[in-house]
Order: sequence, then structure tokens, then C-alpha cells
Amino acid sequence: MSDFNPTILAFCCNWCSYAGADLAGVSRLQMPPNVHVIRVMCSASVKPEYVFKALSQGIDGVLVLGCHIGDCHYLTGNHRTAKRFPLAQKILGEIGLDERRLRLDWVSAAEGEKFQQVITEFVAEIKKLGPNPLREVRP
Amino acid sequence: MPRIGVFICHCGHNIAATVDVEKVVQFARTLPNVVFSSHNLYSCSEEGLAAIRKGIEENKLDRVVVAACTPRTHEPLFRRNCERAGVNKYLFEFVNIREHCSWIHAKEPEAATKKAMNLVAMGVAKAALLQPQTEGESNVIPVALVIGGGIAGLAAASALVSQGIETHIVEKESALGGMLREVHVIGPDMVDSRTLIDEYVKALERSPKAHIHLSSKISDLSGFIGNFEATISDGRCDEKVKVGTIIVATGGRELVPASGEFGYGSLTNVITQLELERRLARGEIPKSAVFIQCVGCRQPGREFCSRICCNASIKNAIRMLRAEPDASVSLLHRDIMSYGTAAERAYREASERGVNFIRFGLDRPPVVRQDGNRLTVAVFDENLEQELRIDTDLVVLATPIVPVEDVKELAKLLKVPIDRHGFFLEAHVKLRPVEFATEGIFICGSARWPSSVSECIAQGLAAATKASIPIREGRVIIEPITAYSDPEKCIACGNCVLACPYEAIEIVLFDGKRKAKVNEAKCKGCGNCVAACHNDAMEQKGFDTRQLGAMIDALIKSALEVSQ
Amino acid sequence: MGAKVVVLGGGIAGIQAALDLGDMGFEVHLVERTPSIGGHMAQLDKTFPTNDCSMCILSPKMIMCADHPNIILHTYSELERVEGEFPNFKVTIREKARYVDVSRCTGCGDCVAKCPVKVPSEFEEGLIERKAIYMPFPQSVPRKVTIDATKCRMITQKKCGVCKKVCKAGAIDYDQKDRLIVIDASAIVVSTGFAVMDVSVLPQFGYGICKDVVTSIQFERILCASGPTGGHLRRPSDGAEPKSLAFIQCVGSRDARTHAYCSSVCCMYATKESILAGEHCPGIKSTIFYMDMRAVGKGFQEFVQRAQRSYGVRYINSRPAKIQPGEDGKGALVSYERRGAGGEPVTEPFDMVVLCPALEPKSNAQLAVLLGIEMDADGFFRSPDPAHPADSTRKGIFACGFSNAPMDIPDTVAQASSAAARVAELIFGGGY
Repeated sequence: MSDFNPTILAFCCNWCSYAGADLAGVSRLQMPPNVHVIRVMCSASVKPEYVFKALSQGIDGVLVLGCHIGDCHYLTGNHRTAKRFPLAQKILGEIGLDERRLRLDWVSAAEGEKFQQVITEFVAEIKKLGPNPLREVRP
Repeated sequence: MPRIGVFICHCGHNIAATVDVEKVVQFARTLPNVVFSSHNLYSCSEEGLAAIRKGIEENKLDRVVVAACTPRTHEPLFRRNCERAGVNKYLFEFVNIREHCSWIHAKEPEAATKKAMNLVAMGVAKAALLQPQTEGESNVIPVALVIGGGIAGLAAASALVSQGIETHIVEKESALGGMLREVHVIGPDMVDSRTLIDEYVKALERSPKAHIHLSSKISDLSGFIGNFEATISDGRCDEKVKVGTIIVATGGRELVPASGEFGYGSLTNVITQLELERRLARGEIPKSAVFIQCVGCRQPGREFCSRICCNASIKNAIRMLRAEPDASVSLLHRDIMSYGTAAERAYREASERGVNFIRFGLDRPPVVRQDGNRLTVAVFDENLEQELRIDTDLVVLATPIVPVEDVKELAKLLKVPIDRHGFFLEAHVKLRPVEFATEGIFICGSARWPSSVSECIAQGLAAATKASIPIREGRVIIEPITAYSDPEKCIACGNCVLACPYEAIEIVLFDGKRKAKVNEAKCKGCGNCVAACHNDAMEQKGFDTRQLGAMIDALIKSALEVSQ
Repeated sequence: MGAKVVVLGGGIAGIQAALDLGDMGFEVHLVERTPSIGGHMAQLDKTFPTNDCSMCILSPKMIMCADHPNIILHTYSELERVEGEFPNFKVTIREKARYVDVSRCTGCGDCVAKCPVKVPSEFEEGLIERKAIYMPFPQSVPRKVTIDATKCRMITQKKCGVCKKVCKAGAIDYDQKDRLIVIDASAIVVSTGFAVMDVSVLPQFGYGICKDVVTSIQFERILCASGPTGGHLRRPSDGAEPKSLAFIQCVGSRDARTHAYCSSVCCMYATKESILAGEHCPGIKSTIFYMDMRAVGKGFQEFVQRAQRSYGVRYINSRPAKIQPGEDGKGALVSYERRGAGGEPVTEPFDMVVLCPALEPKSNAQLAVLLGIEMDADGFFRSPDPAHPADSTRKGIFACGFSNAPMDIPDTVAQASSAAARVAELIFGGGY
């Protein structure tokens, strides 16, 4: 599967991870072109159903990036995200998808390099996992 | 049927050098609901904005998508531009194909172009489902809060009260003045720091608008621009104050050298700059001294230059030589940072008074040894390419300014970012140096970056200007990204009430049934309630389920179907 | 409310001061000598240390100035006279004749295309030409053309008249006259910035002698996508892509013969330009000849390290003594003293040389007379009172940005906002 080019979705929160992604861009940190960002105000507003929808329709991997614990712009949002997503990962496992296709991480507005690292690692991981088996099954 | 116009920006060659803009323009035209697509060299220029307005008028567009840089800078500009052309501000969608695409995939133009197309497809899908919105307004409490009573905070507070704005200034020490109290003479004009501090303190003490809180800290903070609530604690009791805007001016502290570094702590008469200030203030002028610059900075682990230390050492060297013209002074450095006019003159004066400026390299630091009751400094002079040995009575270590110890706590309370050194991160390092991305909170002085006295004052005043504007206007615009509940679907389980960090949701009676209701004035648009709702009753304006779902569908169609 | 403030100079300092004063409710008259606001920042390709596109971050602020209900732009205008004392200054502004009716001009550019007269472009630092009727740069604010009366054939010789013929909006008016406007201002803010020193007065650096020795501001225009070479790094002599570049710091600065002061921003912009050159021409070998590497701001040291590690930029602590033309008049030979060479001078060839000239507060001398304020020993309006850095020696008149002291963009923006605070203090607070 050396020519497999994953399609990946990332939900980034406006205050931290989206800003961190911007900083990575401004710093010209290069990374693989597989990740598409959807901006949300808080990682805690990301419904698991978005993740399930994306993965069930053939997206190869989903990233949810929020502020570091304790730094959420909306006080406690990321605590909820932290509780919610391990559960979502478990559900993926139950339905036969590799849990590693969903990753939750924390990137602050000052962490351009971390953003680059997370993207690069995740793309490599998804490449190893191969295409989403549900790609062929889409209606 | 929506009529969407898509405008792809070249951004000079920032986008166009990597992304094939023409291809993206063509692609955009094929997307559902797109009736017009075009490109601009610089969309944010007057020409670009006029071209967008023209596109709106000529094609009767009712939604606009701009694919360019980051919405975090230019979204307000493009929204206003839409409004000017008669399109509701919130029927505008911004797609980031620069920071998130052309700049980070510079060596993969084909893949970057494909990704830009995917992102535009997602933006168009969302735009089709946007709803027109009206902005709300919130009041602004006409009171300001300045956290920190050093020179930056003093300048900020005095500027605010002189404009007639009620201001609280909170200082953790028992007196105002901060680090400047320990620096008795300010270079290069050799101004007495006490006089400078007193001028500002007196202005505050005289003003009925100023509330000075000494030996106090901020122990709690909540709210948002126009309506913050801060708890000021002095160790015995707490005072809650309501303020409209906040200025952070918590300054920095002198880094204490590591034990043994250049003999610090183990040899006598190896001291820091502030310790030298104390000695000079007491009239103890040494007959000889060696300054060592960049102690603990401009090295791995702490790469930054602390900006003011060269000038501080030069100032003190001149003070010593004015008092003791025959004193022997050497200044060991890795660059002299006497930028500007007056500092450069002072450098010259120091040299003319006989200060020996010796350049050393990071790889060969000076070595300080005890020699009887004196000290010896061995240093490899890079210019002479020779090892020198200097006998001296005193070694002064110029260490950097670093953030105060509790900066992380304060950053958490305010929910503002700090960088890895602990300096506060401003909204934009070039054009918004005294603002945070969070509205209503501002930053000045050495808490942001080591700054000279005049720079601290300028930044304090600048922060005061920024902090005064919302107070003067009396109101702030509430962005219409608040949440709302569909009573048909709501089962009043109360999850949203618990999820809301701002207690903005209540269960009320609606048509005789219990339903969740969002208080728009309190809602901050975080969307926590949306994900907490089990019945899909809660939605967030501008980020609703249908819109995000459409973005996912569009990505799949654009990225996957083409390759099938 | 509604007190008037005059801001002299429409670069980033004046723009920021005007926006703040406008937001505070003052009626601001922003006076700019050239046909467009923007100043030198508009000429830059990118800004250090983030390498943001300069025009991208400046343009929205320029537009905000033009749109702001409280800001009145007087472009192509100069200060004529100032009378009175705070709070009653009588400021006379001369709005120079553009020979264009700005209420009709749409900025379409048809006139520019047809104008037969070519003149070295100031904005492009003489690297290419503009016409006698021109717009300084595409993102000009206001987006109107101006006729350079000294070069226009109609105005000097009563010949031609092509622009009037092709103008569909009927905006050309050869009979237009200068207009004098009197503003009753409560305060004045000086923000006139700098001019790049003419380094041909230092022939040892080879400017004007070697074709491939350019100034840093010329280099910015060469790097810029909207500049004379379309953003392709080419050397003037033969248009070839240089494989080696030398940056020479402190040309005219820190020099007792010309300017003793340090221009403050050159170490950083040279680092930036060396990185940009590396991005334009991967593998290019850049060398920066410096005296002290003044990377004192936020992210600056890391920026220098990035230049060294990612772009192989060589930093040599030496001040070249002489720059001569290279073989066949191409490139240049730089002679300098190198450590480890036993004190002998070394001569190294470079494909292209970029000089970092002193930045001079050129408008200050004339303004000092017109405004009755004092300059410091270096010709800057640095405040004599350290407690009030943006104050001048006269009550009600303030100076911010480079006209006050050499400083970079963030310090300029902060000082401009601080000048606004002082104006507000004076007028709302009723005293100093």
C-alpha cells in the first residue's frame, strides 16, 4: 500500500489548535498534505457522530485537537472532550474499525511544532493501517 | 437556491507559488450552488475587496466564500465587505488555503492544489447552509483592571485614570514600582528611578478614579469582555470587582545564576546586576569590575536575548567610571545590543571612559577563579585571538529577565497563552503587540518580553489606549455563534445545563412543557451543550450539525470520489 | 468629543495612531506626503520573524483608515505651517494638485497604460519605471492616480494630453491647483518615519559602481512577487540567479563619519532576507557581515538560528573595508578581515551584494522648524523626558515610531498607540 494517500479530517478549536496550526503555517513547518481542518470553537462541541459519519463514509482517520487540560478557553470544555473520545474510540473497535483511526491530542496556540509533529505522526500511522475498509461499502 | 461566489486569493505568491489558483477557480465553478468563481492577487486590498463587491453585484450572489489566509486575522474585514455589498455578514465563509495549505506543503504543489480544492468544496458546502444573523450587543462595565504595579502597570493605570476611567491596580508587593525599585538609576539618561516611579504613583494616589490594592493578587477571574469579575485577595479578605477590560503587567524577575555558575554562590564578590545596583546605591563603588554578559541565556535551553542587559551593564560601568575615573572595568560579551541612538552613544562613552569590551564565544565561556582576596577571570578574546587574564575585585553576572514564578497560574485564570519560556503570547507579534487574541485583555511590559523602561511605558500606554476603547464605546458586539435549542426535540434531560461552563442554559416552561433555553447574553458560543445533547436538540449558530455534516460529505466527494 | 488631531505621516506609525485616535472619538486628519498611505512597510516583501507577507497584514489597516468615519486622509499633502499653542494649534496643510478629480477617478489605470513618459519608480527603488501619471503600488490607498507635475508633458510643455483623452470618467483636470486647508487641531502627532540613506556617498561599498550591489530595500522589491522581477531573485547585471549573496550591515550606521547611531532593524531584516533568498533559490549561499547581531526581540534569536541551521547562512563578525566590481563587471569582490587568517584581509567573490544602509529621519529637520520642536543629537525626536517617551519638547505635539527613534514594527505600533494615549490624557484629562 505504498501509494495509499489517506484522506484525514481534523477538528481544531479556534483558540488553541487552530491557532497552533496557523503558527505552523506561518513558521513554514512542512507536513504531509492529507489533513483537512474543520474549525470549531471548542473541541467539546465535536459530536462523536461527526467522527462516526466521517469514518463510516470512508475518511481514513479523524483528529480532534483541543487546548491542553487546564487551558481550555471555555474553562472545562476539553475535560469533556477527554472523557468523550476514549469512549468513541471503544465504539470504533466494537464496529470493527481500528481505534487508532481516531486520535485526540492537545495543541496550544504557541505549539506550531507540536501541530506539525501530530500531523506527521498521524498520517504515518494511518498509512500503516491502510485505507478505511468501509470505503467500498459507501452507499 | 443559494447563489454562491467563490474568490480564490493568490496572496501575492504566498498561495500562488504552490497552489494552482486557476485550477481551483475552475474546480469551484463545478461545485453545487456556485454561480461565480474568480481570483484576486490580494483579496484584502482595496482592489480585491472592490472586485468581490463587483462579483456580488453582477452575479446577484447571496453567499460568499473566500479562500485565502487565516480567518483569525481577516474574517472581520471580509464580513464588512459583504455587508457593504448588501450580503449579510454571516453569509460569508473563509477557507484557509495559506497557513493550512500552501505554506505547509510548499514542495508538493499538486497535492497542495488538490487539498485546496477539497477545502474549498468543504467551505462551499457549509456556505450553502449558512443562515443570515443579526449581532447582539453587550454592555461594557466602565472600569479597568491592571494586574501588576511595576512601571508598565503604573503607566497603563495612570493613562486610564487621566482619561477619567475608574481603574483597579493590583500589586503583589507592599509598594508600587516593581523591579524598577531595585534599579536606582535608569540608563542611558541616568534618570533617578525613584523620581520616575513617584511621578506615576502620585498621579494615581491623587486620582479619585484609581483604586490601589497592595500586597494583593488576583485569586479568581471569570467573565468576558465588558463583564469580567475578578477576585482581589490580600491574604486576609477577598474583594470582588466587576470590570470591562483587563491589562496584564506582571513584569519579570532577574534570573538567579545556577549555583557555581562563574563562581556564583561559591566565590565571594561574584554578584548579579541587581546586587550591583544595591551596592552602587549604597555608594560602594568598586575599583575594578568584570561584567559577564549572556549568563544563562543565548544558549541551548534558553535561546533568547534579554534585550536590556548590555545597556544595563554599560550604564553601570559608566556610573562606576564617573565616580571612580581610574577604575578598571571590562565587559565580556558575545554581541553588544546597544540598539538605537542613545544606547549606542552610551556604548561609545563607556568605551571612551576606558571600559574594555571583550568578545568571547558561546563555545569558550570565561572562567572565574578565586585568587587570594581577589578574583581572576580568564577569557579568550575572539578579536585578538588571544587568551586574556583579568584580575578584578568584582564579577557582575548579567542574567536575563524571565517571567515571574506564578505566571502559569495567572495565564490559566485569564485563559491566555504563554510561550515555552513563560512570556505571554500576544495576538500578533507585529501589528498587535499589546493585545491578546481574547477580546478585552491586554498585555504590556516584561511579562510579554524583556523591555526597557521607556518601552514598558510605551506599551503600558498602548495597552491603556486599547483598554479604553471598549469602555468609551460602552458596548461590544456579540458574535452570533450562540447556541439554541429545538423544543420539538428537547427532552429536558438537563445535560446541556451541566455542560455549560457559563450557566447560560436553564430549563423553563415552554407551552406547558419543560424545555432547555439558552440565555444569549451569557452564551459564549463554545458549543459544549451541542455535543452533550443526546437528542440533537441543541445546535450552535454558524457551526450546526447540518453544516458540519455537509462539510464532511463534501470532503468525501472531493477527495475520494475523484480518485475512485 | 470631536476634538481634532493632525497626524503627520501615513506609514504604519501614523496609520496606527490615526486608528486609535479615531476609535477614541477624535477627528483625525492623517497627512501623507506621497500619493498613498502605507510607507516603507508597503514596500517590504515579508516581515521578521514570522515572515508574514507585509502587504497582507498592512492592507487591512490601510483600508480601515480609509473607511473609518473619524479619519480624513490628506494624501499627496504636506505640512505648510503651524501656528498657536496647545490646545489651539492652527495647522495649514497643502494638498498638492494631483491634476486628477479624485471624486471621479475609479483607479482603472487606462491613463497609466497610455502615458508616454517613463520615470524611475520611487516605490520600486528605481529598479523599474513608472509613468508621469501613476499609482504608487497596486494596493494604494486611496486607489487614485496622480500626475507628477514635474514630469508631465502637458503640465510642463502643454503637449500630449493623452490621459485626458482616454479617461472614461472625465477625471483629468490639468487646471487643478494646490489647496490650502486650515485645521484647528488640539494636538499633533509626528509619525514621519525614515528615509534610506543614499549610500553612494560611501563609495567603498560599491553602490553605483558595481551593478550587482543593491540596497536592502531594493532587494525587498526584487524578492516581492508584485515587484520588478515578479519575485524572481535575479541580479541586475545579467539577470542571472545569484548562487552567493553577501549582506553588509551598518553601511552608514554606527559610523562616526555619517551616523553614529544604530538603525536597529537591519540585523533582523538581513536575516529575514537571507532566509527568503534561501526559499527563492534553494542552495544559495548567503553570508551576513555584521558588527553585533542585534536579535533582541521576541523570536529573534530563534530566527537567526533558523537562518544558520536551515538555510546555511554564514554570519561573519567583520566589517568589510572594500567592495569592488567582480570579473566582467558581474558580481562583486568583498574584502574583509577574517579571524583565523592572521589579521590579513581576505577577498571573496559574491554573485550579488546587499547593503544595509543607515535609516535616516529625513523629514525631522524641516518639521523641527515648522513645529518648533527639538531633535536629539542624532536628528530624532526622542523625548527628553524618559517618563513620557512619545512626548516632544512642546506641549501637545508628540512623536512616535522611527521619527522618534530607530525601532521595528511592533515597537512602532506600541509607541503610536502610546501617543494616542497621551493625546487622550491631554484632552480628556485636562492636563499632563
